[in-house]
Amino acid sequence: MRARMIKLLTQRPIIIAVLAALAFQTAGAQSHDSNANASAKPMAAGAANSATGSSASDVAKTLKTAAEAVGLARWSGVGGQRLPEVDVVNTMEVWASGTTYSPSPSSKSGEPWQPFKTDYHVVLGYNPPAMRVEMTRSPSGASAQGSAVPLHTIEVVRDTYAWDESEIGAGLVPGKGTATPAMAAAKNRFLQLWILPYGVIKAALAAGDKTKVSTENGATVITFPLSGPLAGVMVKATLDAQNEVAKVETRCDNPALADLVTETEYSGYADHGEIATDVISPGRIVRKQGGHPVLDIQVKMWDANNPYLVFPVPENVKKAAAN
Amino acid sequence: MRHFSRSIVTAALLCLLPTVIFAQNNGGPRMDHENTLPPTPTGPTPMAPDGHPDLTGLWNGLADNLLGVPNQMHNVGIEVGPDSTRDIHSGVQIATWPLQNRKRQNNEQNERAATLLRRMGSNRPTYKPQYWQRVKDFDANSNEEDPSNNCMPAGVPRMGVPSYIAQTPKYLIFIYPGQGGLIATATSYRMIPTDGRQHTNLEDLDGTWNGEAIGHWEGDTMVVDTIGFNSTSWFDQLGGYFHSENMHVIERFHRDGNTLTWTATIEDPDVLLEPWTTTPRVALLNPDPKAVLLESLPCSERDFAHVVTKEHH
Repeated sequence: MRARMIKLLTQRPIIIAVLAALAFQTAGAQSHDSNANASAKPMAAGAANSATGSSASDVAKTLKTAAEAVGLARWSGVGGQRLPEVDVVNTMEVWASGTTYSPSPSSKSGEPWQPFKTDYHVVLGYNPPAMRVEMTRSPSGASAQGSAVPLHTIEVVRDTYAWDESEIGAGLVPGKGTATPAMAAAKNRFLQLWILPYGVIKAALAAGDKTKVSTENGATVITFPLSGPLAGVMVKATLDAQNEVAKVETRCDNPALADLVTETEYSGYADHGEIATDVISPGRIVRKQGGHPVLDIQVKMWDANNPYLVFPVPENVKKAAAN
Repeated sequence: MRHFSRSIVTAALLCLLPTVIFAQNNGGPRMDHENTLPPTPTGPTPMAPDGHPDLTGLWNGLADNLLGVPNQMHNVGIEVGPDSTRDIHSGVQIATWPLQNRKRQNNEQNERAATLLRRMGSNRPTYKPQYWQRVKDFDANSNEEDPSNNCMPAGVPRMGVPSYIAQTPKYLIFIYPGQGGLIATATSYRMIPTDGRQHTNLEDLDGTWNGEAIGHWEGDTMVVDTIGFNSTSWFDQLGGYFHSENMHVIERFHRDGNTLTWTATIEDPDVLLEPWTTTPRVALLNPDPKAVLLESLPCSERDFAHVVTKEHH
């Protein structure tokens, strides 16, 4: 019956929309236990790579399975309700430490970037899309000799605005720090938000019929284009055996957006929150950007209980963006 | 014959048992909400002799204003329909998967999901940056920090829509029955003059949980203006939203047939960057014309001693 439906899909485009709406139900019907979840993975060890062009049903099933794997698709019976599952992930706060890499002023093309021992604190939200990355970096390795004081930075992005803060919430009330517009950095900062596992699932769902599912070396691969400020960037996400997002690669044909070519690996998934939420987050993140290692961090805590996090845009940033 | 009948009844009850257990495992009274959309108004809006809408009535038609996830999601602006979900403040569409295919989960998973669902909305007050950490800490530790724990009042505007309103020519009487559970609140009432008087000077008021309220009509909307609060209460059911003694609350009540829409705007320049308005809550008139408010059980906190994690309930 399912094969016949898929055949019909290819022959009668007019009913695609109707069947696509049913696709989530098909996916969910197989997700009542772990075995069913496993059966949703179209993978077989050593299988040849399949071409894209997956059905809407396959895409829906894969995305629902991935959403449930990280605790993004949720419902609750508290109150005796009969509501559907919804995407519950909005705000998150992450503490991590490890190594980040930046080019030194004197480094030449092709040379390794300078490593920094880094404390990493990120607050983020998807409604509205926003992210504040606070880093304290001290040179490490050979470059640490004669090093200066640790470098503390706070980089923020929200909607179409990007700015740097001298302290958390700078520029919002008189006498509390300065906010420096950094509009040119907006795309790069937004990319960090959308290539997190939750961002990948949300963006793949939002991409609709442009999202494709295939298999590569037995692993499920999701590909889709980003939109809005990141239009032109293609994302390829590889799922692991637990249907968690294990690797995210971004590609861009526009040479001017070379910074948006990234490769990120996520591993060590668990509920890393102080308050248990059953939202599963990665314990290690390793990223390359433009071919260079830029990040290798271990997560200390990942609060996913939609904590109070806000990202008001300072007036001077709004004015700068308007000019 | 009697023995045979008893056996059938017993067998039938045994067959029903798993259903009953399953229903209990999935949480409290079966309200069978399939969406969080506000009720649609029906019927005429009764008018008082002075020509304004008559707000008198028992506004507990939805029954589970504080306890049920559907109403809590409605209260934070998340509209869940049969196959789509929307944040009414940001307009963001939220991914939704149909009811029939939900992943099964146990009570603990139900509770954890409820915590996320209640607080996924985007409509949050914007505090001055120096208070962001305090709000977050209050929220994270609300099992211990919530000032309404241990049967204390919820206060204004956290109490939300009154369960009963009596409208007289010169006063409104609001009654808020206490509720049980871990968000137990004490029974409260408010007597709100609508005779045109002015507020007492703030400096002359002793701050209280409910403040000094004065009502007036703006067209067909009753506006209740309140000052004179203590700084103890939080101004919403979720979020650790503390306030100062300078909080000023403007509530708006608008009746349309058998529905009553309530919003509250909170002004508190001591701690907020800008005024904040709650998501409109729509209460439904109790459809039983003979319904009365049941007596609230005496509030006695018994659960708190058993809370061992920071998970919200």
